[in-house]
Amino acid sequence: MHPTGSLFWKERSILLISDVHLGKVSHFRKFGAAVPQKAILKNFVLMDEAINFFHPQDIIFLGDLFHSSLNKEWQLFEKWAHSRTSKMVLVVGNHDIISPLKYENLGIEVVPELQIDGFLLTHHPEEREGFFTFSGHIHPAVRLHGAGRQSLRLSCFFKTKYQMILPAFGAFTGSHVLETDTHNEIFVMAHNEVLKI
Amino acid sequence: MTREELYTIAQNWFQQQNWKPFKFQKDTWNAFLQGKNGLLNAPTGSGKTYALWFPIVLNYIKKNPGYKSNHKKGLKAVWITPLRALSQEIKQSAERVTHDLNTQMTVGIRTGDTTTKERAQQKKQMPDLLITTPESLQLLLATKGYDKIFKDCSAIVVDEWHELLGTKRGVQMELALSRLKTICRDLRIWGISATIGNLEQARQVLLGPASKALQNSVMIRANLKKKITVKSIIPKKMETFPWRGHLGLHLLEYVVPIINNSKTTLLFTNTRSQCEIWFQKILEKHPEYAGEIAMHHGSINKETRYWVENAIRNETLKAVVCTSSLDLGVDFAPVETVVQIGGPKGVARFLQRAGRSGHRPGKESVIHFLPTHAIELIEASALQQAVKQNAVEDRIPYLNSFDVLLQYLTTLAISNGFFPKEIFHEVRQTFCFQDLSQDQWQWLLNFLVMGSQSLQSYDEYKKVEVEENGKFKVNNRGVAMRHRFQIGTIVGDANLTVKYQKGGYIGTIEEFFISKLNKGDVFTFAGRNLEFIRIKDMQVFVKNSKKKTSKVSSWMGSRLTLSAQMSKLLREELYTSREDPEKQSVEIRSLSHLFKRQRRESIVPRSEEFLIETFKTRDGYHHLFYPFEGRFVHEAMGSLLGYRISLLAPITFSLAFNDYGFELLSDKEIDIQQVIDNNLFTADHLLDDLQKSLNATEMARRKFRDIAIISGLVFTGYPHKGIKMKHLQSNSQLLFEVFRDYEPENLLFQQAFIETFQHQLEEGRLRLSLERIAEQKIIWKPCKNPTPFAFPLITDRLSRERLSSEKLTDRIKRMAAILAKK
Repeated sequence: MHPTGSLFWKERSILLISDVHLGKVSHFRKFGAAVPQKAILKNFVLMDEAINFFHPQDIIFLGDLFHSSLNKEWQLFEKWAHSRTSKMVLVVGNHDIISPLKYENLGIEVVPELQIDGFLLTHHPEEREGFFTFSGHIHPAVRLHGAGRQSLRLSCFFKTKYQMILPAFGAFTGSHVLETDTHNEIFVMAHNEVLKI
Repeated sequence: MTREELYTIAQNWFQQQNWKPFKFQKDTWNAFLQGKNGLLNAPTGSGKTYALWFPIVLNYIKKNPGYKSNHKKGLKAVWITPLRALSQEIKQSAERVTHDLNTQMTVGIRTGDTTTKERAQQKKQMPDLLITTPESLQLLLATKGYDKIFKDCSAIVVDEWHELLGTKRGVQMELALSRLKTICRDLRIWGISATIGNLEQARQVLLGPASKALQNSVMIRANLKKKITVKSIIPKKMETFPWRGHLGLHLLEYVVPIINNSKTTLLFTNTRSQCEIWFQKILEKHPEYAGEIAMHHGSINKETRYWVENAIRNETLKAVVCTSSLDLGVDFAPVETVVQIGGPKGVARFLQRAGRSGHRPGKESVIHFLPTHAIELIEASALQQAVKQNAVEDRIPYLNSFDVLLQYLTTLAISNGFFPKEIFHEVRQTFCFQDLSQDQWQWLLNFLVMGSQSLQSYDEYKKVEVEENGKFKVNNRGVAMRHRFQIGTIVGDANLTVKYQKGGYIGTIEEFFISKLNKGDVFTFAGRNLEFIRIKDMQVFVKNSKKKTSKVSSWMGSRLTLSAQMSKLLREELYTSREDPEKQSVEIRSLSHLFKRQRRESIVPRSEEFLIETFKTRDGYHHLFYPFEGRFVHEAMGSLLGYRISLLAPITFSLAFNDYGFELLSDKEIDIQQVIDNNLFTADHLLDDLQKSLNATEMARRKFRDIAIISGLVFTGYPHKGIKMKHLQSNSQLLFEVFRDYEPENLLFQQAFIETFQHQLEEGRLRLSLERIAEQKIIWKPCKNPTPFAFPLITDRLSRERLSSEKLTDRIKRMAAILAKK
């Protein structure tokens, strides 16, 4: 696990990234909401950071790679995709409405889901017989409480017995607080570390 | 017709009603007909509507002597009211005048409640007299050809101006007036205001500080003396008095005889949820009132509200539990008694509420004060003083509200388009933007056109376009449509409509409350127990339920704070606690028990003392400070002190505030001696430290939420149309972070901080109170147990701020360790 919110599968050299929501800033701007344009580049910087750390052979996006219909941020993404040597696969999420052909032109494979060695990779969390699932979609976060009425809300990796939900990778995305119990394992991202709770 | 003849018309009408016009009414007629602008200071129920409707109609008669047979169509006057609930009442009084004087003038209402059909008709032919809200007026300015609509408008009357002053709706009004001054050929601007501390300033803000309009204006005061009696409800047994309740329900039985002994009673609560609970509990304990009591607050649907208002007038109700929604306007003669539940926090508000009773000139107003916790009795005592001295607060107008200005400019761009040079000149005439610089103006224009300060590649920002002749214009229909929807949301809460599954609208509720509910949960809203079924398209579907529930709908709403005047009076009352009981007020005397217990562990501070208490409980180390300056100042002082302490060593605080003091709660102990030795209460470097402490807490973030909505950065969707625009909704928190990281120089981002300083933290007051503390002797009392003063603070679990100077990873590790132990 990497503090950017990505997850690296060492044996297979696969980097999992979920819910980047590229194009969201541009989408807002196109509709007259002046979100700072500089925020666009952050996602690319973060992706580079994770990739340069692990040097994965494959990158699998667990859905919601692009927030909206095509806008000019796509051109930035094209450039970025060309600059990377890893093989990329997109597991389609509910936001991914851009034509698969556009992705395939960039050499990115588009699939509804993936099964590798008893692991299921999907966008929507799901527990399926005989599989351990990796997914996204929820943008999980957790609320921690401490003495002196302190509390913190942090986005996290959320692991249950049969699945692991990845945090949203994108810089301009929200999160959703999940309730935990003792059977779950939670990993939060804090600055440059991933901490197990 | 001469002016004398016109007066005779008015005088005759008064005679027919067996009334006599007041001096202030005649003065107003006179000034208006002379073409003057002005501010009329008159309370509700004094006949202020006739003070202005008359000259408006007389002026029309003067210009059109053949008025009885030959009617000239077109808009002649606009009456602005902050609450649409008041518009019916105002319309009725206007119609009485137009009808009785045999004019053929028409009166119309245009608010958020007006049907689309009616609006379309008005667009074709405006009524002669229009009653509307600040938002709806903005919407008119967003109409193509608005200049033609207003061309012959002779008067704008802004009713309840004190309610608008000090809000962003007030800024909206200032901007609208700046435009109307140019496009109306013969315009008078009049404001009507209840008594506030800064009436002169109120006139300046209304008319423009250096304007010709102000030069040609008058101030007219009604000076109607009214006797107000305050009666505190003091429980017989002080021992059983809980320290904190916030709701005051334990005193419910004391209210029953008050209700029984009077024709109609209004019970004012401070929040809508308190209102819901009181209504429910009265009925639960006294089912015999069923059908005789009702509830009134801003989130209940308008039919019910109208029904309640009419029922009050018809004297068919014994009591109404209400919120500030009944503070204003509507004249309810039958109300005999008013009960205020919990501290009203401000003298002006209290006087206004008291004035709801005995509503006929010369009659005495009686208001009962029901404290929700013991210490509020001190407040009651202070209120009596305030009423005696007529110590009313100021309403502080906003300065440089860029969010509202951006909204306004977009409005103009949607309708006729605008030329910056002309509008800049007008905008600078307003009070709010009198110091707007050319640079700031250019920044705003760039923001509208490019969404940033320089053109960037890959950008598809779309909002306002500049046409060849230099006109700023919106040509995109989507942008225009979204903007029109957004105008009404200047107070901006994510409101959802509550509806029955089978149909039938009940009211609106904030999203944050609903988001905590699950299917099947039962909650109380609008006096009913409702089962939550589901949310769809911004609508909450419910059905009636017989189940009992403790979940009462709540609203974040604005929290009230003690004004500077009230705080001072409060402190003075407190200092009397050691005096001879003979000299004390009833309230203070009844609290002797409490003071005794306070003294057992600690002290009751005197005027030259500043009290700090510390003790430890299961929750951690409590550090309590008592400046008695009102919630907002405490919020500022608490964050400031917390920040300064956090510089000494890494520490994390949870902060709680009330009107009497504030608490810093931590899992570590603070050495108070160190706080005193380091002189952490100093007013030096105040601004700088405050700015830094703001970064550490959430206050500016919350301000930014409204700014983001008003300026159109966040789109709230179409709440009433049930259209979801999920792909365009974003969380203003997230947006705040994006601006902080990428565009901290953005004027809107900076505005969040400035507003927090000026309106939330009241920097000026903070400085004064720090100076006061510097002259006091600091008394530090380490206690074994929580004291009576501390109790309301340490039990506050809801509205806490956080501040930390520790490393995030350290905090997480510690919290994780606690979790592991469980």
